[in-house]
Amino acid sequence: MAVDTGILINVGFYVSFSIIFAILALGFNLQWGFTGLFNAGIAGFFLIGAYTAAIAITPYAPPSTGYPGHLGGYQLPLAIGALLAMLVSGLTAAVVALPTVRLRADYLAIATIAFAEVVRTVAINLEPITAGTIGIVGIPHLLEFSGPNAAFLNMATVVGVGALILLGLFFGLHYIVESPWGRVLRAIREDEEATMALGKNTFLYKIQVFAIGGALMGLAGWLFAVTLLYIEPSGSFAPAITFSVWVMVIVGGAGNLRGAMVGAFVVYGLEWLSVQLKDLAPDFLKEAIPYLRLVVVGFLLIILIILRPEGILREKKRVLR
Amino acid sequence: MGDGQMLQVKKVRKSFGGINAVDDCSLTVAEQSVTGLIGPNGAGKSTLFNLVAGLYRPDDGAIWFNQRRIDGWPPYEIVRLGLTKTWQIPHELRNMTVLENLVLAAKRNSGEHLLNVVFLPGQVKRDETAWRARAREVLKLTQLEALANEHAKGLSGGQKKLLELARALMTDPTLVLLDEPVAGVNPTLAASLMDLIERLRQEGRTFFLIEHDMNVVMNRCDRVIVMHQGHVIADGTPASVKANPAVIESYLGG
Repeated sequence: MAVDTGILINVGFYVSFSIIFAILALGFNLQWGFTGLFNAGIAGFFLIGAYTAAIAITPYAPPSTGYPGHLGGYQLPLAIGALLAMLVSGLTAAVVALPTVRLRADYLAIATIAFAEVVRTVAINLEPITAGTIGIVGIPHLLEFSGPNAAFLNMATVVGVGALILLGLFFGLHYIVESPWGRVLRAIREDEEATMALGKNTFLYKIQVFAIGGALMGLAGWLFAVTLLYIEPSGSFAPAITFSVWVMVIVGGAGNLRGAMVGAFVVYGLEWLSVQLKDLAPDFLKEAIPYLRLVVVGFLLIILIILRPEGILREKKRVLR
Repeated sequence: MGDGQMLQVKKVRKSFGGINAVDDCSLTVAEQSVTGLIGPNGAGKSTLFNLVAGLYRPDDGAIWFNQRRIDGWPPYEIVRLGLTKTWQIPHELRNMTVLENLVLAAKRNSGEHLLNVVFLPGQVKRDETAWRARAREVLKLTQLEALANEHAKGLSGGQKKLLELARALMTDPTLVLLDEPVAGVNPTLAASLMDLIERLRQEGRTFFLIEHDMNVVMNRCDRVIVMHQGHVIADGTPASVKANPAVIESYLGG
C-alpha cells in the first residue's frame, strides 16, 4: 500500500538540508561567533568531509565509458565514514590554522577563501581520485529500503539521523563553550592581546577551535553525501555555500548555539520556499523567483543588521553564581 | 630572593622604525617595593612595560625577573611566573561580565583545558567554584562587587581602571606593573586604591607603576625612576628625584 508521501519527502528535503547547514553554522559559530576567527573557507572543509566520506563508503568504481572512476572501493561502514570525514577535515583545518590563524581577521579570511578554492580546483582536476567534474556517484543510503515507500523511508532516516546528530552536537557544544575553556574563547574574541597578558596561550586555543569547527564541517559533508548520494565539486562546494553560512550565523545570532541553528533553518527555508513558489507563481514571475529570493535575503540581512545587529537570538549575558 | 631585586632590566633597546622608543635602558625594582616610573609623554615608559611583560620582544639587552631571564618569553609564560601588567588604556573584555573578566584571569584553572572539561568534570567544577569565590573577594577589595554581573563595557573609565587592577590580582602576581592606575579615578577612590596597593605590598607583593599624578608618586612610592627619550635619567628617593635639575627640566618644570 503506497501512501502519497510526496509532500512529506519535500518537507524532509528542507529539514535535512537545514540540518546540514545548521551543522556548518555551528562549526562557523564556534570559530567566529565565539572566538572571532573569520573562516572564509567553510565550503573547503565541507568538501573535504564529503569526499572523504564518499571515498570511504562507496563500492568499487572503476573507470568505464562515460565515467572516469574514482579512488575507493573500501565500502567502510557509514559511521566510520563519518568519523574519517571529521578526522580528515579537522586535521586539515588544524594544518591550515598553523600558519594563518596568527593573521589579522581580514587576512585570515583571504587565506581561507583561497584555501577553499584550491581544494575545489583540486577536486575538479584530480580525476583519478575524485572523478573530476562528474563527481562521485553511488553513495549508499543510510539504511536500504525497498518497496513503494522506500523514498519516504530513506528521507525519514536521513532526517532522523541528522536530527539526532544535531541534537548531540548542540548539547556537546553547549557543554564545552559554557566551560572555562569556552570563556577563554570569548576572551580571545574580545581582546586577544589582553587574554595573552592574562596568561592564556591564545594560539593553542585558536588551533583547537579551528580543528573542532573543521571537524563539524566535515561531518556536515558526510551527511550531505549520504543525503544526496552524489557529490560534484562545481556547485555544492562553491564559495556561495560559505556566504550562506555566514548569513545564517549573522541572522540567527553569533555566539549563540541556538541562534546558529535557527539561522540555518530560516535562511535555508527562504531558499526552499522560493523553489516551492516557483510552481505556484504566475508564469511571468517563475523565472524571477530565484533572483527575488536573493533580493529578499539581502533585504532581510540589511534590515536585521540595522535593527538587530546581534541576530534573532542574541548572545546571553553569563551571570555567574 | 638573593639580592633583593625583583626585576632587573639591563641595557634594553627597542626601536620602531627609526625611533628608539627604549634605548639602552637599565633599571632595577626592589622586592616588596612600590617603585614609580615617571617621565614625559613618549619617554618609553609604556613600551618598557610591554617589553617586560613579553608583549614586545627587545632588540637588545636582557630582562631578569625573580632570578630568571624572561626576555623573549611569550606573555602567558611570564604571567604564570608571577609578573602581570595592567594597561594604560583599559583592555576590559567588553562583552563579558566583570566577574567573568576576573575568573578568566585565574591561574591554573583546570577547566581551561578541553580534555579536563571532558574527562575531569568534577575537578573542573571544584576549581571553578574556588576561583569564583576568590574573584568575589578581589571584587570586594577593589570595591567592584556591586558591578559583578555587569558587562565590562558598561563601566566608567575609573571603574575600568579598578577592573584592570582586580584582574591583575587574580593572577596572584609577585610583581605588578601598573600603567597609570589612578588616571581618571576620582581622588577619594584613588586614595583608597593606593591604600590597597600599600596593603598588598605589605603582604609581599611588589609594584612598579607609571603615574603622572605627582601626589601619588611623591607620597606613595619608595623610589622613583625617571625616563626620558628611552633611557633612565634619574633614580632615587622621591625627594632626590624632585630636586634633580635634569628631571625638573625635562618633566616636572620649574
